[in-house]
Amino acid sequence: MAADLKFAKTHEWIRPEADGLATVGVSAYAVEALTDLVFMQLPPVGKKVKAGESIGEIESVKAVSDLYAPVSGEIVEVNTALPGRLETLGQDPYGAGWIVRIRPDAPAEMENLMDQSAYEALVKS
Amino acid sequence: MTAATLPVWWDSAADGPVNMAADELLADEAERRGGLVVRIYDWTTTTVSLGAFQPLAEAEACRSIAGLPLVRRPSGGGAIIHGSDLTYAAAVPKAHPWGGSPQALYDALHRSMATVLGEMGVEARLHAPSAADPPADAFLCFARRSPGDLVASPAGQAPSPNDPKIMGSAQRRLGTAVLQHGSLLLSANRSVGPAARHDGLAELVSGDPTPLPESGCWDTRAIVDRWLELAGEPLGMAGEFQPEPFQSGREAAIELRAARFRDPRWTGRR
Repeated sequence: MAADLKFAKTHEWIRPEADGLATVGVSAYAVEALTDLVFMQLPPVGKKVKAGESIGEIESVKAVSDLYAPVSGEIVEVNTALPGRLETLGQDPYGAGWIVRIRPDAPAEMENLMDQSAYEALVKS
Repeated sequence: MTAATLPVWWDSAADGPVNMAADELLADEAERRGGLVVRIYDWTTTTVSLGAFQPLAEAEACRSIAGLPLVRRPSGGGAIIHGSDLTYAAAVPKAHPWGGSPQALYDALHRSMATVLGEMGVEARLHAPSAADPPADAFLCFARRSPGDLVASPAGQAPSPNDPKIMGSAQRRLGTAVLQHGSLLLSANRSVGPAARHDGLAELVSGDPTPLPESGCWDTRAIVDRWLELAGEPLGMAGEFQPEPFQSGREAAIELRAARFRDPRWTGRR
């Protein structure tokens, strides 16, 4: 897990990039808890979202979970290869398993999220 | 020490969209109360509920269910033909001990039902994956097997990897709550063609000289009473049937949400 990641309580991570965009994915903990992923629905590019709004859904054998935007902004890119290779989410959740790139409305919003140690404490609680 | 209350609503029959809408509100209720809540309900007519992402084309291609009302659930899993089953919805906040991982709530409710069925003389157990398992993506829920599904052996027969599935559940994990839908198959549904029909409890115990059902009818209230008694024990909770249907006082909110489930765009989303 990289130190530049921030986490939402709903288990999404976000990484600010040098170009002003931010990459979003789902934590390894969440992927492991869901087990056996079978389907994923991604948002369209250009969709504007508010922090906490659904940006997609992921289905495992037992459950469907919403994916939530950790910050407000515009979806500028989606990992279209992911639905066809869901195993990537488990193999490389913080790299090739990225889900969307967002142009944040207010990058400072990321300060409201948890750092790695706070997130680890959350999932251990 | 007095046990905390596990609120249970036993609702009269409603159509698919109303039932799905009520279940979403049940998740809100779990959050409001901060604990497990359960709704048991029926359907106005035999109805097929599709999993959240099952292709509609698969339902349309299944001739055995042609003409039946169809509703898409917010929860995952395979299609269920309701009408000869005991349908439930249970919800907990995500912060609840059973809200963290999908398997926790699933196993808690299935294990307690296995005990109830065992007390009735039906040898039921949680399914462990095996090479004999049917395809995980079979269209019908009761044609699938996944870890934790409840399977049962026909009366007088030793447990086998091919034993039928008798109870299945699937979840919708919302922002702060978990909604679990589930179905205990009481008997094979004669409203559908044989290809979509699965044996239920009644078929499993036929030939047994001491089955609980009288005149072919299960005492579902007794099953639910005991099930929730056992399910609530580890939480220190005692099931308490609510005097009013869950819909009472929530009619407008339910109808508002039901509109989404009636919308062909929702049903045909995949």
